[in-house]
Amino acid sequence: MKITIDGRSVDAQPGQTVLDAARAAGIWIPALCYHPKTGKAGRCRACVVEVEGQRGLKESCALPVREGMVVRTDTPRIHSVRRMIVELLLSEGHHNCISCQANGICELQDMAYHLGIDRPGLRIDSHPTPLDDSSPGILRESDKCIHCGRCVAACQNGVVNQVLAFAHRGSHARVVCDDDVPMGQSSCVQCGECVQVCPVGALTLKQPRERKIRPYEARPTKVTCPYCGVGCQIDLYTKDNRYAYAMAHEQDWQEQPNQGMLCVKGRFGLDFVDAPDRLRHPLVRKNGELVEASWDEALDRVAAGFKEIKEKHGPDAIGFLTSAKVTNEENYAFSRFARAVIGTNNIDHCARL
Amino acid sequence: MNTKTRQALARIGSRYPSRRSALLPALDLLQREARGHIDHESLVEAARVAGVPLSEAYGVQTYYTMFRRQPVGRYHLQVDTNIPAMLAGADKIVSHLQKRLGIRPGERTEDGLFSLETVEDLAACGTCPVIQVGDRYYENMTPARVDKLLAALRKGKLPDLPAQAHFSSQCNILLARRGVERAFDIKVYRKHGGYGALPLALQKKPEEIVAAVKDANLRGRGGAGFPAGVKWGFLPKDGNKPVYLICNADEGEPGTFKDRQIMEHDPHLLIEGMTIAGYAIGARLGFIYIRGEFAWIADILERAIEQARQEKLLGENILGTSAHFDIVVHRGAGAYVCGEETALIESLEGKRGNPRLKPPFPAAVGLYGCPTIVNNVETLANVPYIVQHGAEAYKRIGTPNNFGPKIFGISGHVRRPGTYEYPLGTPLDELLRAAGGVVGRLKAVIVGGLSVPILTAKEARGLVMDYDSCLKAGTMLGSGGIMVMNQSVRIPRVALRAIEFYAHESCGQCTPCRQGSRVVAELLRRICERRGAAQDIERVLELCATIKGSTLCPTGDAFATPIEAMVKKFRPEFEALVR
Repeated sequence: MKITIDGRSVDAQPGQTVLDAARAAGIWIPALCYHPKTGKAGRCRACVVEVEGQRGLKESCALPVREGMVVRTDTPRIHSVRRMIVELLLSEGHHNCISCQANGICELQDMAYHLGIDRPGLRIDSHPTPLDDSSPGILRESDKCIHCGRCVAACQNGVVNQVLAFAHRGSHARVVCDDDVPMGQSSCVQCGECVQVCPVGALTLKQPRERKIRPYEARPTKVTCPYCGVGCQIDLYTKDNRYAYAMAHEQDWQEQPNQGMLCVKGRFGLDFVDAPDRLRHPLVRKNGELVEASWDEALDRVAAGFKEIKEKHGPDAIGFLTSAKVTNEENYAFSRFARAVIGTNNIDHCARL
Repeated sequence: MNTKTRQALARIGSRYPSRRSALLPALDLLQREARGHIDHESLVEAARVAGVPLSEAYGVQTYYTMFRRQPVGRYHLQVDTNIPAMLAGADKIVSHLQKRLGIRPGERTEDGLFSLETVEDLAACGTCPVIQVGDRYYENMTPARVDKLLAALRKGKLPDLPAQAHFSSQCNILLARRGVERAFDIKVYRKHGGYGALPLALQKKPEEIVAAVKDANLRGRGGAGFPAGVKWGFLPKDGNKPVYLICNADEGEPGTFKDRQIMEHDPHLLIEGMTIAGYAIGARLGFIYIRGEFAWIADILERAIEQARQEKLLGENILGTSAHFDIVVHRGAGAYVCGEETALIESLEGKRGNPRLKPPFPAAVGLYGCPTIVNNVETLANVPYIVQHGAEAYKRIGTPNNFGPKIFGISGHVRRPGTYEYPLGTPLDELLRAAGGVVGRLKAVIVGGLSVPILTAKEARGLVMDYDSCLKAGTMLGSGGIMVMNQSVRIPRVALRAIEFYAHESCGQCTPCRQGSRVVAELLRRICERRGAAQDIERVLELCATIKGSTLCPTGDAFATPIEAMVKKFRPEFEALVR
């Protein structure tokens, strides 16, 4: 179907929201509380638009497209609401882009930049809230929280760990763990999904901060998690070929086995790639001692061993055990190697043990 | 925890179609058991009863002001300081209590006997100043009555200090039995013509009742004035889900104290109205969501419901027909926003009272995801008359498009503050005369509860009190809570007190309401304390203009509109403070 946004005719699919359709067409509508994984919330009010023939402002994140609808995202009224939202959010917290771990990937910063707000016009006194650095992997800075509710929705309904919730109300409202204990003492399992969806610097990972790597300096590489058989798709962020941090791969998240989520191992357990004691070369035993070797030398040695056993005792003298930790494709390749190259059906898998 | 408490908790859980709804009553019960506060163990228990994670239970507990984390005194004294109370001199009561007890609000006496707190509107606007002690209201308080109260409490007794509530009824429909002794008793109610409409209703088809209510153009008395019959008509015609009826008895709008007149003194009128409405819309279960502070009124309602059940007026096969309907009284726990129907539904489901995104509207997706109708107490109390006397008779009361009786609650600077039942369309002047006239010279009046634009004395002259006329005059009839202010009132003070209320009550979900109310409050505080500048007035007006229409629920407009009106209409008073 066709809808009109700011005078442009735009393609839209039934079931889409106006926000989806606008974004697909490259029209910028800020949305601080909406996230595809956590859904509409109606909290931030940044995405409001005007619809011809309807009174007042509508949340584009919750507004289904209708054939022929005429939407405006750029009226003076909408601009003034967006400016007010940013100004209010800036006045509410203690934001400091210079030192913020979210600098460069912060959606509030983006919105302020787009609107040309260089310094907050509203200033009210408020006491700073102490940091919560009690958990091993996540730093919580509630003064940077914009009450979007993504982390709460993700924790309660996405990963269903049910640790984070909104407590208190009005301007005293804040996100707490369990009945307001530090994250490190709560029932949190450190899956980090809250960090994954946080639009600002209220929830950040400690790993990149410790390594002094800001998110915009790091580049993602899509990898499959090596820990279990689910096959979670991870964006492994590196800088100068060094590990920075890990995020779930979010593109086409609905088609990923992990649907854009990770567990504690996938989130925090990949820093071993830079471990100094990690094996970086094949080792071959010579005279009872393991000695560094080239891949060619090592593989030749293995091939010779297989060949010798097969000739002396037949292919069924060799058995193969694969792992749930590697991908389906790798397991498949392994089974083809066993059956077609070696010629044995002696192949099994740790998941059957 | 003792066995009795366990059994009581289990009973609470079985009252609702969903166990989660038990969270508020469970927290209330456990707080009472623990003499006034909820600790970690109680919270864990409440979460278990309701089947919710601890984090959510904590979120709910801390949302509602009546649940406390810290111990309070044996007698927790809560003084209403909202605008009607302010007009009646609540400040003096607070300072008198401070002097007598030697503590400030938020503190507890050393012996643990008393604690003091200032609270928002307790819906006792006609009998202010009011102090709530435990589940009781002490109204019409003066320093002398405070001393009597404290003396009795020191002896361990909750004294009887009767309030002087003024009322009169010209229509004899909603307040017909207001002065009748023991009208809460079903026998007395029957003797005065009660339960005359229900048998008539049960002889009709449900759609005939809906048609009659539509025909009578009964407009919702909660504040919006939306026609109740039309609302009922929004229910899906052939759904297979249960339909629920909810009576909104949250009565939280400052200046409003009308619904309690019906519930406290004539509960069967509401029960009869609800039963007819339930039958008309096909509901088998109804809820009365009553504000938690009205604990004794909730008890009155529960006793009346039990009486009605005994006489087969509620329950299975009402009066031997095939109609079934029952009512559960559900107590809120201190949250103004729960007067908004979707927030009320959330609260009834055991959640934080956060309004929902609309659409869908409750008639389509309401309580437990089922079709739901939410009507105000006074609206439902009009239904028996319409059924018994017909839409035509009903339409002879009031003015075109604004039919029927209305309870006006008049507070502030009048000689006889109280509740007055008059036809819609009665001139404001006549209502003020009924309330004994203005004390001093009229300066301004808020005619529909705090959320509507204030009127200057000049604007109020000749005002006709119905929905359409008020709209034409640039304000709203709202709940019909009329707050009268004489020349002694300083409007900037009223504006500050008003915005403090909304900032306190904002649910905190959406940015413009949560932080907008806080910033406007801060700006007005600066102005009132003579720390402000001329541009602060501009900022207030700018913010109000931008907040209007930008929030998730009507609460943003509920404060932006009246604050804007106060600043615009009384601007010189604000300007004088920033010079």
